[in-house]
Amino acid sequence: MTYTDLLDRATRILFFTGKGGVGKTSLACATALALAESGKRILLVSTDPASNLDEVLGVELSGQPTAVPGAAGLYALNIDPEASAKAYRERLVGPYRGVLPDAAVNSIEEQLSGACTVEIAAFDEFTKLLGDAAATSEFDHILFDTAPTGHTLRLLKLPGAWTGFIATNTTGTSCLGPLAGLQAQRSLYESSLRALADGSTSTVVLVSRPEPSALTEADRTRAELSQLGVSNQCLILNGLFVAQDRSDPAARALESRGRQAVEGIPAGLAALPRLEIPLLAYAPMGIAQLRGIFPVAQPSGCVVAQPSGCGNKSSSTVPLSALIDAIEEAGHGVVMTMGKGGVGKTTVASAIAIELAHRGHRVHLSTTDPAAHLAVTVEKPVRGLQVSRIDPAVETARYTAEVMAKSSAHLDAEGIALLEEDLRSPCTEEIAVFSAFARTVAEGEDSFVVLDTAPTGHTLLLLDAAEAYHRDVARTTSDVPEAVRQLLPRLRDPRFTRVLLVTLPEATPVHEAARLQEDLLRAGIQPFAWVVNQSFAGDGFRDPVLVERGARELPYIGEVRDRFSSRLALIPWSAEAPVGPERLRQLANSRADLYE
Amino acid sequence: MKKLEVFDPPMCCSTGICGPSVDPALVRFAADFHWLAGQGLVVERYNLAQQPQAYVANPTVKAALAQYGNRCLPLILLNGAIVSKGCYPTRKELAHMAGIDYAEPVSLPVIQNGCC
Repeated sequence: MTYTDLLDRATRILFFTGKGGVGKTSLACATALALAESGKRILLVSTDPASNLDEVLGVELSGQPTAVPGAAGLYALNIDPEASAKAYRERLVGPYRGVLPDAAVNSIEEQLSGACTVEIAAFDEFTKLLGDAAATSEFDHILFDTAPTGHTLRLLKLPGAWTGFIATNTTGTSCLGPLAGLQAQRSLYESSLRALADGSTSTVVLVSRPEPSALTEADRTRAELSQLGVSNQCLILNGLFVAQDRSDPAARALESRGRQAVEGIPAGLAALPRLEIPLLAYAPMGIAQLRGIFPVAQPSGCVVAQPSGCGNKSSSTVPLSALIDAIEEAGHGVVMTMGKGGVGKTTVASAIAIELAHRGHRVHLSTTDPAAHLAVTVEKPVRGLQVSRIDPAVETARYTAEVMAKSSAHLDAEGIALLEEDLRSPCTEEIAVFSAFARTVAEGEDSFVVLDTAPTGHTLLLLDAAEAYHRDVARTTSDVPEAVRQLLPRLRDPRFTRVLLVTLPEATPVHEAARLQEDLLRAGIQPFAWVVNQSFAGDGFRDPVLVERGARELPYIGEVRDRFSSRLALIPWSAEAPVGPERLRQLANSRADLYE
Repeated sequence: MKKLEVFDPPMCCSTGICGPSVDPALVRFAADFHWLAGQGLVVERYNLAQQPQAYVANPTVKAALAQYGNRCLPLILLNGAIVSKGCYPTRKELAHMAGIDYAEPVSLPVIQNGCC
């Protein structure tokens, strides 16, 4: 299909989903803009806790529709789950200020600061837009720039899970906040569900890069959504590259990697209507550049590339291996890779773990990212390296069993049924994953633990939870596991935990990582270093599109070095997919010279 | 018909499974409360974090909160009068308060005044 087909066939509601970094936001914005310019009124919604819609559209957004300057008919809003939770909390607590004693009001507020409140509040907002026709009646189309896949799925799955939960909950106990409130909203939830499953109302636009892991992820989403009854789907393949300079081996490799990925596209995805978008030399920012996505602009010609090779050779960055040297000195500890989805956290974490193992250390490589694929990246067993993942389903089952074992001795059959009911609530998973995270971090006491964390939003919730738990733990006398008690102090100890912020040399990931750094500093965690991944800025590229990309990276690399971190590692883009111990070690040791 | 009301402290959920560790007393009480409901009593349970209106609407509870603060929670009222403050009674104690015959299944020594 062509982009005009996409616009002509657009249903009232469009969801853009895909692995982090595939260009969901850019494509959702470009589609929204094109629809608005065809005379429609459009509402563009971000539900990502780490949204960068503001930056891409060049306007400050809030929870209310804001007109986007320079684009008549286009409105955008940001559902910030934290802010929604705050508003939700105030709605509940406000009427009791001055009525109940202050201590009672404060304690209510504290109880409503947990992860489940955030989830309920965000879902409330989401449902309002989806299920309440009156709230959005003035718009012809509503586009959701949804968060990275794990989060998206949870959000989309929630109406199903909760409708089921409400229907089967007979005892009135629940973690879901005011159950009475939920019951009252039930019809709203049900209409959300219907809107999702109705193909004449909703379309899910799966966005993917021409890379096997992103395509696999997109196919998993496709299958999962189909199972939930959401069958109106299409695929946008973003960033197909055609080498302009056939003499550039890197350009030929990039082209053939893309072509191979497209040939190996999973059958289910291949059957969907598909739109292909060529690789741009830049990540589009602002209305003018967003317009350039669809009526395909030839990137060369519009901007004169600064050829690499002129300017002064600079040595302001180091290879990843130099960071590993510093990490290795302590002999043990935790390394965490953080950053926006799709920047290569998994690759960087795997490369560090493999290099440490190669140097003779005992290393545990693990992940909290539901969409991560460590085993695929590491490929085969490495001496001294243990690979695992914190699987929410497994951890929830383990936690449930643990609680049942500890408590069921005191209970009769009815009591057990009651406890089981409470354990079915959504926050059980959050707690279970959190405990597993704490246990894994504790292993850093006597060996190396390398943790590939989930994309930003989830990571923040995790840290937030750590803070809340820390407060709780300080108060309670019941038997809290030592690992949980020690978690926050460990994360705050710069000799124990080393946080690496991973980014691509582009505006959005750099600025998201910078925001993440601020949040970490507020939580008392000082990041150890930054890693700029997949850079074209080094010497060795001739293709005009790639050279231009490289030249456009330099300001962002400079910004990181000057403003965010004096310890900066740069990983050059490599023609080979960074999979398997040999290539990961190459990646850790490869160095790029910049000309600035 | 007798009516027993429980006014809990602010909690995420009634079994406390959402905290950093499970409180066995809460789990036990959730089951005992459910058992009580099956004994012909009208039972209601409120959570300060979720239903503050119930605390404000009940003058007895509101006055107790103003006088003692959160320490008096959980408050248990039978037909509107306070029968227990600041702890979760055992099933036997609950039965005694409500005037229900209840035989402890295991004859371990029980501390009668373990509460309040």
